Amino acid sequence: MTTLTAPAKAPTRTPPRHARLRVALRVLPAVLLTALALAGPWLAPHALDAPVVAPYAEPGGEAPLGGDQLGRDVLSRVLAGGRELVVTSLLVAVLVTAVAAVLGAVSALRPALGRIVERTADVLMLLPAVLGILLVTLSWPDGGRLAVVTASVVLGVPYAVRLVAGAAAPVAASGYVEAAAVGGEKLGYLVVREVLPNLRATLLALFGLRFVAAVYLVATAGFLQVGPQPPAADWALMIRENSAGIVLNPWAVLAPSVAIGLLALSVNLAAAALVPSTGRKAVPAL
Amino acid sequence: MAGALTGGDPAAASEARPVPAVVRTALYAAGVLARRILLLAVLLAAVFAAVELLPGDAANATSERGESAADLAARRHLLGLDRPVAERFGDWMTGLPTGDLGTSARGEPVADLLAHPFPNTLLLGGLALLVTLVASVALGCWAAARPGGSADRAVSASATGSLALPEFVVAVALVLVFALWTDWLPAVTLTDADGSPASWRMLVLPVLALAVPQIGWNTRIVRAALADEAKAPHVETAVLDGLPRHRILTHHLLPGALPTIAAGLATSTGMLLGGAVVVETIFNYPGIGSVLAGAVADRDSPVIAGVVAVTGTVITGVLLLADLVRAWASGGRT
Repeated sequence: MTTLTAPAKAPTRTPPRHARLRVALRVLPAVLLTALALAGPWLAPHALDAPVVAPYAEPGGEAPLGGDQLGRDVLSRVLAGGRELVVTSLLVAVLVTAVAAVLGAVSALRPALGRIVERTADVLMLLPAVLGILLVTLSWPDGGRLAVVTASVVLGVPYAVRLVAGAAAPVAASGYVEAAAVGGEKLGYLVVREVLPNLRATLLALFGLRFVAAVYLVATAGFLQVGPQPPAADWALMIRENSAGIVLNPWAVLAPSVAIGLLALSVNLAAAALVPSTGRKAVPAL
Repeated sequence: MAGALTGGDPAAASEARPVPAVVRTALYAAGVLARRILLLAVLLAAVFAAVELLPGDAANATSERGESAADLAARRHLLGLDRPVAERFGDWMTGLPTGDLGTSARGEPVADLLAHPFPNTLLLGGLALLVTLVASVALGCWAAARPGGSADRAVSASATGSLALPEFVVAVALVLVFALWTDWLPAVTLTDADGSPASWRMLVLPVLALAVPQIGWNTRIVRAALADEAKAPHVETAVLDGLPRHRILTHHLLPGALPTIAAGLATSTGMLLGGAVVVETIFNYPGIGSVLAGAVADRDSPVIAGVVAVTGTVITGVLLLADLVRAWASGGRT
């Protein structure tokens, strides 16, 4: 049953140089935008919490994008308002990918666990993610950002495990893993040393997809006011706070909307470029 | 996607003895129904556990400043929070099938709170699902008609772009363009005396804001399902026979892609109902979103649990429909 010849290496075909360049070009906008969001607070020309102009002042002079509902500088707040969103989303994406990598590899090696994960994902399919995040944040009022992160991770892991387990199944069934298992290697060794190194491409793509999903969830939580609280500068919160004055100064709403839209688009573009083009999986599982 | 067909395998049944197709389908449907109901019950148990195990309860959440510990204990008693967890869990779960969703932190029955808004949300979500179905099938077919052509690439690119956009960002863009700059459509929803939207024009923007991301998602599914189906031998035969393109599409490609499309739409239902919460707050739409917004302010988790129970039931229903579409599509073939 086990053949020791030709360890089935995962398809790590080196793509031609121009193909790799194309992937790099599609990942670049997301990297740049993420870096800008992280550095934003240092670039803000005005204080975030002090009025600079009249409430909902039109663009011009002191404030190139006008003022918000308290007359604070919109440009400064937009520059500062992305960091928490990006950091929280990155944290969620890293946690989900890491947990899913281990659980997915284990469930490919131990089918009993795989079935439990499968059923959990079936159950969670009945719970819209936005409601799930509301449920957790409201039942845990002091949780703050921790509650948002916990809810996003719990809601994301089962689907991610499914993806990893699917990719890990052929690796787990390959001769060299079976040989190592028969040779008495422990489960942890098999997961970390034998299975996961062969899933680098899948895990990278999964990370991108989970980042997309996390940006959506964290931003929506901010909009529903269960994430960052006023007077924090946060893109989603800015949209919520300033929508009453959308007629007076549309930029107070438009600028953070464009920022979130661009972040979601560029991250999704990057994730789509990272998905391995092998196989017939044309639709990634978000 | 919609789970393994463990309920009753039609292929295995047909091997043993020629069972009438009707009986086979009925058995299959019963198996699927039982499994879906079990999954829903597990979800509801998990929701109750989450509300219970996480710190903070409804009595605490609605406490006012300067309220004494005795007052708090009294309200806890009033809300029944001092009874054993197992007893309350039993009450909540056995109440659900009768339509009793428990009591909010303010002491009102959750079912009464949702009785008027939920049909409005279902209308909004249902219309958005319909728009999603029509638009994504049309776009998917258009893109699949000439694989690799400019239409295909344009549709794929914009679908990939729109599926990641949060609904509230789409909503802001729609409000700016269609309400403020062109003044074609109203940006807020006014309600009739009976609590439903006053005019159909008020539904257009909320439905679009909800549907746009889901159209992106489903267009990709339709496009991929059609591409898979195009590789099937019977389609190649039809092409070689020189059948017209639209006939191949409607008679050979779409029927085979139907189960995948149904499963994709079924997964969109959850996103639509979740997104409705967000979109309703923007357009001031009288649905569960406004109830939830109030619940967020009050930290009223029983209300959220009730909303989850109702939406979970709706999603279970839609997933069942997708299962039946699949059974019907594969039953015709085997």
